[in-house]
Amino acid sequence: MKDLPSTVFVVDDDDAVRNSLKLLLKSAGIAAESAASAQEFLSTYDSSQPGCLVLDVRMPGMSGLEMQHELNVRGAIIPVIFISGHGDIPMAVEAMQHGAFDFLQKPFRDQDLLDRVQRALARDAENRTRLRLTDRIRERLSTLSPREREVLQLVTQGKANKMVAGDLGVSQRTVEIHRAHVMQKMEAGSLAELVRMMMTVAQ
Amino acid sequence: MSTPSADVLAVLEATFDAVVIMDDRGRILAFNRSAEEMFGYRTADALGRNVSMLMTGVDRATHDDNLKRYLGGGESRVLGKGRDVMVRHRDGSEFSVFLSVGRIPNTEPPQFIGFLHDTSLRRRALATLQHERELNRLYLDLAQVMLVATDRAGVIQLVNQRAIRVLGRQEADLIGQPWADCCVAPHDRPLARAAYRALLMSGSDEPQSCEYHVRTFDGDERFVTWRGVALRDGGETPTGILLSGEDITDQRRAEGEAHKAMERMNSVARLATMGEMAAGISHELNQPLAAIANYAQACARLLRTPAADLPEVTGALDQISSQALRAGEIIRRIRSLVRNEDVRRERHDINGLIREVHALLATDARVHDGRLILDLGEPLPPVTVDGVQIQQVMMNLVHNAFEAQGLEPHDGVPFEVRIATTLTETGDVEVSVSDFGPGLEGDVEQKIFEPFFTTKATGTGLGLAISRSIIKAHDARLGYRANQPRGACFFFVLPALQEASR
Repeated sequence: MKDLPSTVFVVDDDDAVRNSLKLLLKSAGIAAESAASAQEFLSTYDSSQPGCLVLDVRMPGMSGLEMQHELNVRGAIIPVIFISGHGDIPMAVEAMQHGAFDFLQKPFRDQDLLDRVQRALARDAENRTRLRLTDRIRERLSTLSPREREVLQLVTQGKANKMVAGDLGVSQRTVEIHRAHVMQKMEAGSLAELVRMMMTVAQ
Repeated sequence: MSTPSADVLAVLEATFDAVVIMDDRGRILAFNRSAEEMFGYRTADALGRNVSMLMTGVDRATHDDNLKRYLGGGESRVLGKGRDVMVRHRDGSEFSVFLSVGRIPNTEPPQFIGFLHDTSLRRRALATLQHERELNRLYLDLAQVMLVATDRAGVIQLVNQRAIRVLGRQEADLIGQPWADCCVAPHDRPLARAAYRALLMSGSDEPQSCEYHVRTFDGDERFVTWRGVALRDGGETPTGILLSGEDITDQRRAEGEAHKAMERMNSVARLATMGEMAAGISHELNQPLAAIANYAQACARLLRTPAADLPEVTGALDQISSQALRAGEIIRRIRSLVRNEDVRRERHDINGLIREVHALLATDARVHDGRLILDLGEPLPPVTVDGVQIQQVMMNLVHNAFEAQGLEPHDGVPFEVRIATTLTETGDVEVSVSDFGPGLEGDVEQKIFEPFFTTKATGTGLGLAISRSIIKAHDARLGYRANQPRGACFFFVLPALQEASR
């Protein structure tokens, strides 16, 4: 499955700030959408849409920090860049502790924002690739028989076929057959690749 | 088993009392209409059943045995004697009746007749009457107001518990005593007597109100608000007066305290708003500034592209100018705020103002683990200032002083802030706040009063600027000098109030 194009979501209750940000992003060739409140954004947000958030801290109704919390609860992985009209250090600290990607004080230089947006989009793409990869690996893992799973576990621990055979109380020939099935089902070209897959899933 | 004759039954039906006839084994032979009403059984249902179903407690349990014992030649404890007993209604409720039982002559086997007279109604009526009397007294005593009744001459006829408690005396010591002389505080007696006369003369049934102090047994005074009404026993001329009074001493005291607390809260709120206002201002201003920066930067980018979308650029430029105007409007609002429309300049003792906020200032000291020292000169001439505004400035200066010292380790240096008031050579009042922090470096000293200049990570750069404008509005100047041996000292000199202008 190919990703949809990335979009920057701007959430700010101030019309001028919101519209100017959209125009700025557009002038830099970045697709942007906007919402005037946290509620408006959350009601239409599709977590499969890649991108990043540019979120105002201080908004009437649900604040930016509350919206971040809500996204965390929903398990959303979208990176959040906070923007604030007043440099409130404790607020910034709280936002970063809850996984904010960055914090910018208004007004800001366009390049500062655009750099951060690009980095946030790259992070989002990475996250999504990794998620997709783990999904695929998990899918393949689920096709293994219990015995094949045991063989996989021992093999990726670095044990030779002979030792595996000893551990499982079967012949070496049987282990070889299981091992071939594991490599085939997991679509792994080498033992190293198989180990990497297991580490990815373990993360 | 022989049933009573029709004649007998007809008589029974006409009897007002409930009548039950039973045989030698306790079975009901007759059950008249009054009995039906009393017990809730229909005659047809009652006939033939054991009479003990109408009884309660021990009577119910032992009736059959007692009957047997009597029939076997024993003494009867029941026959021929009337007594009150508890009986049971069909619905299970119990009530008392007056019961008399007799053996019907010439019946063999013997039959017995019982007359039951419902006494509970009469009892209840009596009890209710008694209860109401007690209740009336209780109401009188439970009343949250003091009740005092006097005759025409002002001699106490009745007092309730509340009044007795407030006055701290025994009821016996009050009844028969003259109200005004005995219970009213001496300085309020003329007032109390006048109110009393007015009430007697008014000829109206409307209650009249007045307030005066009573004197308690201990010699204390309680402030009471009274409503008096003339008592007329049917005639035109009042026979006396009923006073109901509410002891409002504590209430008045609480009101006074609440009022003071409210004033304190108000001034705290106004003090707090200085910081909040500054935060609000910077947020408000940063919004249009951010929009302007974004639009301008977007325009620059758009114009660099080969086929620039000119209408889009024009729209952005329009936005830039309107956002710049918005920022200007915000600044105008701030200026009108700082100009303080409601300046209330009144005569104040500067030391008093400082002592009033001392508790608040001391919190700052505790937060920074330091000491706040008051070095107030006495006596000082009064000044005409807006007290709360001067207190705002003091809060701000003290807060700054503690923060300045918190920036670096203070080994061996006293970590304290000193507020001093002194009389100047010209007879005016100087107020200074000094600390032992790093003090101000050359160029900082120049900029420190400029709006939005700050050395603090979280500062807004408005505290000192606003403080200075407040002091300036008081025809004075907020100045800075180095503190000796080290640190910063902010000071201002308030002109003393001239005797002639008081």
